[in-house]
Amino acid sequence: MSKEQDEYIKRLKNRKMKIVIVRLVILFSIFILWEIAGDTKLIDPFLTSTPSRMWKSLVKIYTEGTLFRHIFITCYETIVGFISGTILGSLIAVILWWSDFLNKVLDPYLVVLNALPKVALAPIIIFWVGNGISAIIIIALLISIIVTIITVLNGFLDVDENKVKLIKTFGGKKLQILRYLIIPASLSTIISALKINVGLSWVGVIMGEFLVAKEGLGFLIIYGGQIAQLDLVMMSIIILSLIAFIMYQGVAYIQKKIFNWR
Amino acid sequence: MCKLMVTGIYMNYHSKLGETSALHNISFSIDDGEFVSLVGPSGCGKSTLLNIIAHLIKPSYGDIYLDGKPLTDISPDIGYMFQNDELFDWLSVFDNIALGLKIQKKLDDKSREHINNLVKEYNLYGFINRKPRELSGGMRQRVALLRTLALDPKILLLDEPFSALDYQTRLKVNDDVSNIIKKERKTALMVTHDIAEAISMSDRVIILSNRPAEIKEEIKIDIDKNLTPLQRREDPGFRLYFNKIWKELNIYE
Repeated sequence: MSKEQDEYIKRLKNRKMKIVIVRLVILFSIFILWEIAGDTKLIDPFLTSTPSRMWKSLVKIYTEGTLFRHIFITCYETIVGFISGTILGSLIAVILWWSDFLNKVLDPYLVVLNALPKVALAPIIIFWVGNGISAIIIIALLISIIVTIITVLNGFLDVDENKVKLIKTFGGKKLQILRYLIIPASLSTIISALKINVGLSWVGVIMGEFLVAKEGLGFLIIYGGQIAQLDLVMMSIIILSLIAFIMYQGVAYIQKKIFNWR
Repeated sequence: MCKLMVTGIYMNYHSKLGETSALHNISFSIDDGEFVSLVGPSGCGKSTLLNIIAHLIKPSYGDIYLDGKPLTDISPDIGYMFQNDELFDWLSVFDNIALGLKIQKKLDDKSREHINNLVKEYNLYGFINRKPRELSGGMRQRVALLRTLALDPKILLLDEPFSALDYQTRLKVNDDVSNIIKKERKTALMVTHDIAEAISMSDRVIILSNRPAEIKEEIKIDIDKNLTPLQRREDPGFRLYFNKIWKELNIYE
């Protein structure tokens, strides 16, 4: 390696390091300032909580033994929500791709369903499937499925017309066009939809937990609010951000794996 | 011997605004082993005609015969090559070449062997496990041609197959493709708007008029068949053919 290349790599690493350090400094400063401001009564810790109070509340739930149960339930609902949303949405997109007539017929319905805030349907769903996890998962599913149908279908329809023609010249019919061209060509669109759905699914799950749950992080947030325990609310939100971040990174990692392999 | 016969093709397009006639009574035939080019002003319907022969579009009237038998559906005996190579990025070079066979469920040891022989013959053997994006434009077009040849078609339809390449690559690929088609003894029909390319590669050039396209003239190219397209461009007759076709095309501007 030449000296110039060596220095270039060093500069690159230095920059990356600086970015990480500044990020950590911001994070810790916020927590430290928050703590100090709360302890010195500059802000009212009853309304804003403080990191130390959040920590106490965390330890309390942990010793009660329910912490991981809450986290697990919420994660479970979210994962089932976004995976089923992506799979069902993609399947419906395949059907609409297959039948152009059906696609045209259903287009206005999709537009209306897309514009409708799906949470508005929550009370009906609760009546239909009962007060529990399945209602929450269905709300999460509803939020992501319509967007998935629309993005994946657009991905399918964006595939180069000439490539479709190519398969036809080989004597391929619709099924072969789907299998050999449309699905492999749209895999990246489907994975992007999966990524978007992680975020949407969280919205659905937390919303659903606000409405019906007896467990889960969304339940902790609403419950903490009701009993005026802002420490509990703040702590739950921070755990939530952490898990949402990890889940998003996980999907991004899978995406990277798949495309490296390809 | 007559390989392909096109008789009385008419093509009308329908839209809400009315009917437009694109092709008007097109008839011609191609002999076995012949290389024929179709030239014409842009938008005259050359590619439409090729699509009709491949049965990708139905003509308003007219019939197409291959080896004396009427064609009624997309036929595995017709190979089609596109303007862009249309290689699938996610498949290796080998899998791209084998795509047609796979779709027709004919991929077996014998056809694999055939593909291996083709790639060896045409200097792509070292690349069979590579992805198309790692290949140059000229190589990609060669892979596209082998993908068509893997199905062993009786006739090749080439739809402006070089127009996406830069000029130097294009001359080189002209030679490659011409060489491969000659060696494999294929009959070919090529659509192009490049007069020089048409003369340098073909035995015969068919000139189409403006829309609605009719056959204006057929010109037999009498330049030594054993020369490569690049060498044929040096032939004294080349200029004369060029001027003749140029004039025919310009009358209809």
